[in-house]
Amino acid sequence: MKRISVDIGGTFTDCFCVWGDDYVQAKALTTHHNLAQGFNEALDQACSTLAVQRADVLAQVDSVRYATTLGTNALIERKGPQVGAIVSAGFEATIPLSRGRGYGEGLDEVAKNDLSGAIRPDPLVPQRLIRSVRERVDYGGTTLLELDEDDVRRVLRELVDAGAEALVVCLINAVENPAHELRVQEIFLEEYPAHQLGAIPMLLSHQLSGRKGEYVRSTSTIVDAFLHATMYHALSELEQNLRDNGYTQPMLVIHNSGGMAQLNSTDALQTIHSGPVAGIQASEHLAEEAGLGSVIATDMGGTSFDIGLVAAGGVKHYDFLPTIERWLVSVPMIHLVTLGAGGGSIAKYDRLHQSVAIGPESAGSDPGPAGYDRGGMAPTVTDADLLLGYLDPEQYAGGRIPLNVKRAEFAIDEAFMDHIDLEPVDVAKLIKAEADEQMANGIAKELRTRGYLPEEFTMLAYGGNGPLHCCGIAGHLGIGRVLAPPYSSVFSALGAGNMPQLHIHERSVPVILYDATSRALFDRFDGFNEIVAALETKGRADLERQGMAADAVRHRLELDMRYGNQLVTTAVVAKDTRLREVSDVLDLIELFADDFGRRFGSGSESPEAGIRITTIRVASYVEGETVEFDASLPAGEPEPATPVGERSCSFPGLDGAVATPVYDETALAPGLVVAGPGVVTTPTTTYLVEPGWRLQTGAHGAIWFLKTEGEPS
Amino acid sequence: MTPSAAVSAPLSADDQARVDKFLAETTLFLGPDPEIMRDHGMQARTAEEERLLSSGLDAYELDRVRKRIVAGLDEAFEMMEQTGAAPGAKWGDLTSAVYTASGDLAHISTGGVLAFASVLHYPVRFINKYWLKEPTVGVHDGDAFIHNDARYGNIHNTDQSMILPVFHDGELIAYVATVVHEGENGAKEPGGMPSSSESAFDDGLRMSPFKCVENNEIRRDLLTFLQNSTREPKLQYQDMKVKLYAALRIKERVLALVEEVGRDNFIASLRKSLEDVEAEARRRISELPDGTYRVNFFSDSTLRENVLLKYPCAITVSGDRLVIDWRGTAPQFLNRAFNATLGAAKCGPSQALLGFFWPDLPRGISVMNPVEVVTDPGSALDPGFDAPLGQSLQGSFMGFSGPQSLLAKLQYSCPEKHSSVMAPWFNEINTFLYGGLTQHGELVGNVCADLNGMGGGARAYRDGEASMAPFFAAMADIGEQELIEDEVPLMQLVSKKIKRDNQAFGKFRGGMGYEMAVSHRGSQLWGYATVSHGSKFPSVMGVMGGYGCCTYPLAKIKGVNVFDYLDDDPSSWDFDFERLMNEQRFTGARYSTHHMGMGYELADEGEVYLISQGSGGGYGDVLERDPELVMADLEADYISPATAREIYFLAFDEETLAVDAEATEAARAAEREARKLRGVPYADFVARWNTPEPPEHLPYYGSWGDDNAVIHATAWSTQGPARVKGPMAEIPPIYLPDPKDLAIAVLQARVAELEGSA
Repeated sequence: MKRISVDIGGTFTDCFCVWGDDYVQAKALTTHHNLAQGFNEALDQACSTLAVQRADVLAQVDSVRYATTLGTNALIERKGPQVGAIVSAGFEATIPLSRGRGYGEGLDEVAKNDLSGAIRPDPLVPQRLIRSVRERVDYGGTTLLELDEDDVRRVLRELVDAGAEALVVCLINAVENPAHELRVQEIFLEEYPAHQLGAIPMLLSHQLSGRKGEYVRSTSTIVDAFLHATMYHALSELEQNLRDNGYTQPMLVIHNSGGMAQLNSTDALQTIHSGPVAGIQASEHLAEEAGLGSVIATDMGGTSFDIGLVAAGGVKHYDFLPTIERWLVSVPMIHLVTLGAGGGSIAKYDRLHQSVAIGPESAGSDPGPAGYDRGGMAPTVTDADLLLGYLDPEQYAGGRIPLNVKRAEFAIDEAFMDHIDLEPVDVAKLIKAEADEQMANGIAKELRTRGYLPEEFTMLAYGGNGPLHCCGIAGHLGIGRVLAPPYSSVFSALGAGNMPQLHIHERSVPVILYDATSRALFDRFDGFNEIVAALETKGRADLERQGMAADAVRHRLELDMRYGNQLVTTAVVAKDTRLREVSDVLDLIELFADDFGRRFGSGSESPEAGIRITTIRVASYVEGETVEFDASLPAGEPEPATPVGERSCSFPGLDGAVATPVYDETALAPGLVVAGPGVVTTPTTTYLVEPGWRLQTGAHGAIWFLKTEGEPS
Repeated sequence: MTPSAAVSAPLSADDQARVDKFLAETTLFLGPDPEIMRDHGMQARTAEEERLLSSGLDAYELDRVRKRIVAGLDEAFEMMEQTGAAPGAKWGDLTSAVYTASGDLAHISTGGVLAFASVLHYPVRFINKYWLKEPTVGVHDGDAFIHNDARYGNIHNTDQSMILPVFHDGELIAYVATVVHEGENGAKEPGGMPSSSESAFDDGLRMSPFKCVENNEIRRDLLTFLQNSTREPKLQYQDMKVKLYAALRIKERVLALVEEVGRDNFIASLRKSLEDVEAEARRRISELPDGTYRVNFFSDSTLRENVLLKYPCAITVSGDRLVIDWRGTAPQFLNRAFNATLGAAKCGPSQALLGFFWPDLPRGISVMNPVEVVTDPGSALDPGFDAPLGQSLQGSFMGFSGPQSLLAKLQYSCPEKHSSVMAPWFNEINTFLYGGLTQHGELVGNVCADLNGMGGGARAYRDGEASMAPFFAAMADIGEQELIEDEVPLMQLVSKKIKRDNQAFGKFRGGMGYEMAVSHRGSQLWGYATVSHGSKFPSVMGVMGGYGCCTYPLAKIKGVNVFDYLDDDPSSWDFDFERLMNEQRFTGARYSTHHMGMGYELADEGEVYLISQGSGGGYGDVLERDPELVMADLEADYISPATAREIYFLAFDEETLAVDAEATEAARAAEREARKLRGVPYADFVARWNTPEPPEHLPYYGSWGDDNAVIHATAWSTQGPARVKGPMAEIPPIYLPDPKDLAIAVLQARVAELEGSA
């Protein structure tokens, strides 16, 4: 297999290249003005390693795949067109009011709870660019008030005159009956034809999301419209660059649903968070290949800590209403949680509890931790790591960032010494332990609310600070196996290399599987199957349009089910894609009950209250070749690695400093072992092997942290 | 002959013991216990807590334990929010809690209704006092107690709680609880908050704390009884399970934590958290300028008729103590629903402190420890146990707004601020309660999530946020209409539309509210209720010269099926409250406006009910408002040109919205001069405006002027209304006649008059 996968992040463009049996990783700075430049540089590094010309590589690979955070950045920077919205009359303030709670979406708990300081984010569509049209459709799709076409023409003119550069149409119950949205589009094309110079794109809400919920469907459409031009131009530029360099296959774009598609079959909204989602995909693939069982994927950087859940058995965890930046949207996205914790998180004295508090404020990368010597005065987790002896002041980030230990010590001293009768290094231990436990609590909550036990998971640790804190975090969770995965510095790019081509189509449906009032089980199988078939047809058409053979297309039927009027729905993967008899219904009910009971406690199931399917979802995909690798440890007794020096390190729970062997990257060769305590410093990261742990290297450069004391079987 | 009420001579010790024993054995029933219900503070340290906290336990370790406990509560909160069947559960009107073994509430979940922090401990104390050693009840591992009667604690009867004891090695070390606003509770009207409740027996289920779970299983016999007692047996069943399993999850986390950190650290952490918060609250109070600060709030309705109820509030800061004085408040009404229990009323100051003044403090009972609350027993904020409480939020909300308003002023003068200085948040639940048969044939009764659409108060530096959250629950949700329509036949024809000019004006204006027009379709039986006041007298005021909110009526269009008009004559329908009511385009329809206390009434398909959400208070002088902000509101159609001109004194071009800065400055300068001319010396003002008593025609309740010792009230007898005054204890019981009886009497008189003339 020959393949290139890329993750374009805010700072770096990561590239993973499979060239037969050779796997090569490369990294270059992201060039925001022209993404192709950064990509070419990273690809050239990989080509240089492979000793092959760029054009030869691009001519021979089966695909080039991109994951990107471009959309997220554009949202944060508010780089996009002026979007105008057309809504149903009577719903003019639905978007700005943002279900009330929109002020707090995407913020930490402290900010959410401070009503006196609450401020909604600057809107993507200001009230002055929202217009309503007279129409009304009810919940079943019946038209109660016909669309007033004169009204439509008037508001279109007003919005265009007011400077709208993109338009979205979000009419009530359009999911049930899209006729009015489609008619608005027809009128728009009559009045402002697409061939006209300065044509304005118009997006219809029912085409973005098949789910009910007028606010979240509106925000989904708005975010998509806002990002559309930016994403389209940037990715088209990349595609043209590939063409110019001899690539003839379609360029593929990673989706946050866990699949990918060609550029012309991709909504901008689907690309948001595609980088981290690709990392979770890589974790899933690694777990399957290496037989790891259930895995919790963690990415600890400077300012954030991403958590992804990969449960054994192929159980998919989606966020159906994820928050993207500050906006609640409706798109099925692979479940991903981001905590505001990282190396840059600021530590402070908690006067109330006479203790240490971490974050949510972060020193970020500018000015960064105090020890960076760039003007930061607040102590951070990285400063504590430095003071504890884990980080090499001369070799941090490959020597590019010299660290000032005294500055870090001074910052901790200033913040704590008036309050705590401890030496700075002892305070640093508290900071390290608190940071680790905070992240562990975040993981524990994620797992436990879904009915999983943390100790049954393998933890994957990637990102710049992951290998430094993973033993501490795992220790708090009772996890005894941590894997810093192969190619961890380009892990999301690696994940992009394993994505299937996949499209998801879904539709809100009022299917009552069990009616509590009449005590009847669902039997209208034809109607149900017709909806499934229609969704399959859509998915198949998407894939055929991209050159896939119709007979290669597979479908997975997922049903969002709930008891009575509960809010939570559970995605149940049906054994068959059709319902034929009552036993199929009972099978679904049992599958649902199993998952619900595991999650909320056996006995908590409430079938007596009725059972409903709220959404039918079909994932249509074509299975493709995946990158093979394994992370297993070599057979035989490992040899102790040879230290290159020794440092005095301190560890939470241990009195005094410990003479700790220091290793360079040669210690990461297969067949070696580093017993804790130990520190391995490489140009890209630091591996901290805490007392009671050992580090061993597996195939493809996989780094294992294994608990030595009380090691789980 | 009956026993003498006179004080008799002291009894001997033996006789006293025998009397006590006799009385203990002949207790008729265990009603709400004033000793419990009047004590909002935490208990003294137990001997064991004293021992542990004196033993030098590591503060950092105890803090770790605290965070783990809260993490467990948040996990349970999320479970309930996801699995709860009640609409309230879905919008966040719930909480999870952990208590010391003494029944002190130490922590509640990070999300949810904050007001629960100060009111959930009462039922646990009742369990401890009466059931722990009661042989017929007892408290055992695997038990759980259910409770909803606000006279025994919690906010109002629509909240149901599930309380579990936590044992470790046979020792009761804690309680945990889960609480959800369930809505339907079998009250006189559907939805659990009956505004027409005329006695405590109209308030629906009155569950004093009782054991409903043994060996972690809900007792089916009791469940069946409860299901029979409400309109939504499915809801009762589902959410009892939801609360039980969430509480079991907390218990599981607590026991795992105890295994990990040890029983001593767990017990000590709970107690230390309580004491830490109290110590910090005292420190912060001591930084406030000493003095007494006063404000008067008024309510304009009993929810059945228009009256004026006074809610004075005085806060006295003295050292590290804070005294809230509600004396002078209107008396309790023994056949009206707005009375709030003292415990529920105290949720107000607790909410003002933890939600707006010190939002960074952890949520628990002890923030109120330095606070003393003074009331007139028998007032609407401290009623007797026989008073109906169906819409007790009305009293509780006044208990919030007074302190919030005063704390803003205190904060302005305090150099160390922990939040923004702001005008009062809107304080009314302007929403519809509904009940009837759904299009799916189910009988339901509940409340629309629009109660969460209260406008925020203006800040010292910017406008308030439009319909954003109820003051009592951050991150509450006003929901998605499409999802609601899937469940119930209620349709919001006007769903979210900012009501023009509905703002409390000021240098920074209050957060505005939206208008709603609802109707129903596809049901054989459907009706609505509304449960607010503020239709005649603004329910919140501004600060620093800002305006108060507007008044908000209920409007109805009856005798019409609007869906027929939508189909046959679409142009007759207007998506606008004002035009619908002013232009009256539906032939034969009955148009009317009312106060916002509408008891449940049936509606025919297609009849229309209209309300709007309220604005938070304004901040500062309108003449200081940035003209560009005024123009932005005008462009968004949030205000009319008349408001821009006549309230904000702006000169501008209505076509281009360009401001004429010079003319505006001149207009504002002229208005400042006009104000001086309109002004009079204070003594003249007092002489002109002060009267010794309230106007005779006004059904007025509460103190008049500064003298809070004398209560004025319009009492009814068979002879009609009569003004009375005196100390609260001397005010006769207030029973008002049914407004329908009064209306009938007027009609009968008119009939008699007509018959006489004939």
